[in-house]
Amino acid sequence: MDFEYIIEARDLTYSYEKKDGAPMSLKGVSLGIKPGIRTVILGANGAGKSTLFYHFNGVFKPKSGEVLYRGIPLCYDKEILYQLREDIAVVVQNPDEQIFSSTVEEDVAFGPMNRNLPPDVVESRIRDSLFKVGMEEFRNRPTTQLSYGQKKRVAIAGALAMEPKVLILDEPTAGLDPQMSQEVMELVDQMCMTGTTVIISTHDVDLAYAWADEIHVLRLGHLVYSGKPEEFFEDRDSVALSGLSLPHTFSINHSLEAIRGLPDAPYPRTNSQLLAKLAPSDSDFGRIRIVPVSQDSQIDTDGDVVGVYGFEAKKLFRDRGISADINFNAIEGCCLSAMQGHDTTIYCDQELAATIRYRIGILTMFGHVPEVV
Amino acid sequence: MTGKGAKPREKASGTSEHIQMDALAYSSRMLHWPPLGKLLLVISVLVVNIMTDSVITAFAVMALGLILMAYSTNMRIPFILGVFIAEAILILIIACGIISINGDTSQPCIWSADFLWMDFYMTSDSFNEAWLVMIRAIAGITMMMAFATSTPIPHLAQALRQIRIPDEICEIVVLIYRYAFLLLERLDTMWSAASSRLGFSGFRRTMRTTASIAVGIFTSSMNLADKAQVSLECRGYRGYFPIWNRPKKAGVGWVAIAVVTFVLLYILGTHTEGVIDFAGIVFGV
Repeated sequence: MDFEYIIEARDLTYSYEKKDGAPMSLKGVSLGIKPGIRTVILGANGAGKSTLFYHFNGVFKPKSGEVLYRGIPLCYDKEILYQLREDIAVVVQNPDEQIFSSTVEEDVAFGPMNRNLPPDVVESRIRDSLFKVGMEEFRNRPTTQLSYGQKKRVAIAGALAMEPKVLILDEPTAGLDPQMSQEVMELVDQMCMTGTTVIISTHDVDLAYAWADEIHVLRLGHLVYSGKPEEFFEDRDSVALSGLSLPHTFSINHSLEAIRGLPDAPYPRTNSQLLAKLAPSDSDFGRIRIVPVSQDSQIDTDGDVVGVYGFEAKKLFRDRGISADINFNAIEGCCLSAMQGHDTTIYCDQELAATIRYRIGILTMFGHVPEVV
Repeated sequence: MTGKGAKPREKASGTSEHIQMDALAYSSRMLHWPPLGKLLLVISVLVVNIMTDSVITAFAVMALGLILMAYSTNMRIPFILGVFIAEAILILIIACGIISINGDTSQPCIWSADFLWMDFYMTSDSFNEAWLVMIRAIAGITMMMAFATSTPIPHLAQALRQIRIPDEICEIVVLIYRYAFLLLERLDTMWSAASSRLGFSGFRRTMRTTASIAVGIFTSSMNLADKAQVSLECRGYRGYFPIWNRPKKAGVGWVAIAVVTFVLLYILGTHTEGVIDFAGIVFGV
């Protein structure tokens, strides 16, 4: 790779109206998205997040400025744009705007068929992406008969079927219930772990703070911040001016500084990190066991609290009719369970074990943590 | 609250019956029959139904339609669809009543009456014709229902493609089908919102609210079209909708079935014309 940013915007300006002097939706936006970095575009409603996304995949052409993909400026030639959209998939906020086909499988096949892929490849893409979003049994269902959450999953499956290098999700959790939101975020998380660059737009500060490695904040079409989330939320005036609020975890951590005299840094982003920071060093935590599984693995759910993480692991549990105690957001859930003194086992996909170990290991930055075996 | 606007709504936009019809088609036992084959059969039967003047043929078509519909739906017709069929039959009865009392005055009368400025004159022929029209129409409805309850619109579009209807038209059919549901859902939401704010209390207010909703739906459809265009481009749309799971093609067998059914019903019609005299049965003339 000879580029720093997989997508880069340079001095981007855009207006929805053609005439001169029309109000600008984007005003001189310059930012870079690093490959493999979990990026959130944060901003209030109408800040220009979706408009920016449509520049990334060449649907919108900037009035001035340029967009670079892998260090090369976008060329708005039809065929090149088709290729670009194979690499950069966008999941729009409202799935009803994205789902055109009458049945689930037809809709998921739409992208791969547009790429003229061979039928066996299309078939495997449909199967894999429906499996990842947990909609295999809905394959032949008419899209008109799906709930909003199911449509959202189908929309994501449609994007996954393209096997994109960059996955852009516009407000992925908007309108979803908490469990479905966690499912979607876990799916997104796994996409990141397997090498896809994921960009999310949201105004949910808690989600952005907990998930993002890097945030870019838009305010009325201007880019007002790019960098680590903590630094942005430290500047309360900027947060308020951007129409946002402080994340829950950030606020509590900040309050602890005043109450207990604990320093702000390191900044916990999740409840488990916050608890690790607060927990006395002699706390009696349970241990966390990480068990990578394959199709023929033995699963012993007796005794421990059981969490399950990863597409394959979840399928295995589903196929064998085993119910886990923690089905969603299992890394965080298992950390919290162990901190409450329960011995906890997390069953996961083989390739995710190292990442899970690393993610739990991050807790050591904050203080006393459960033992990982 | 006792105003009309506060009444619970039984049927506003028609969303539920559209969705039920769609669900019925997707759960039909005839779903995997070739749509073009079904279309050919239905068209040939409908044509022969009109071509012959035999009530027996109309009865045969009706029986065929009912059998297919029963098989297709596994005898599970949703209540709301049943109500619609009954409503259609009621309208037909009224229409046929009008045909029967509008007989040729040069023929012998079997019943007549005067009401205000209208003269009712029923003849044997007009009475028999009214019956024929009614049974034919009901037979046509059953055949078309058998097709509609077993063929989702995208399959119909596929059938149209197979008979070389231009792709643009087929795609418009599919898109109308897809977006009709979305607009109906939006209509339903707007209707409920207006109703909960007493938008339907009184005739004038109902008219005004209905007009506002119509305008709102129009604006929504324009917005939806814009957004859908962007989404299509995001997904690599190249100017046509590729079909992944193509329904079965209608082979020679289906053409043969359609032709044989047509010929049999036609022969039946030509040999049974005038066999049943309704006027004779009812009035003894």
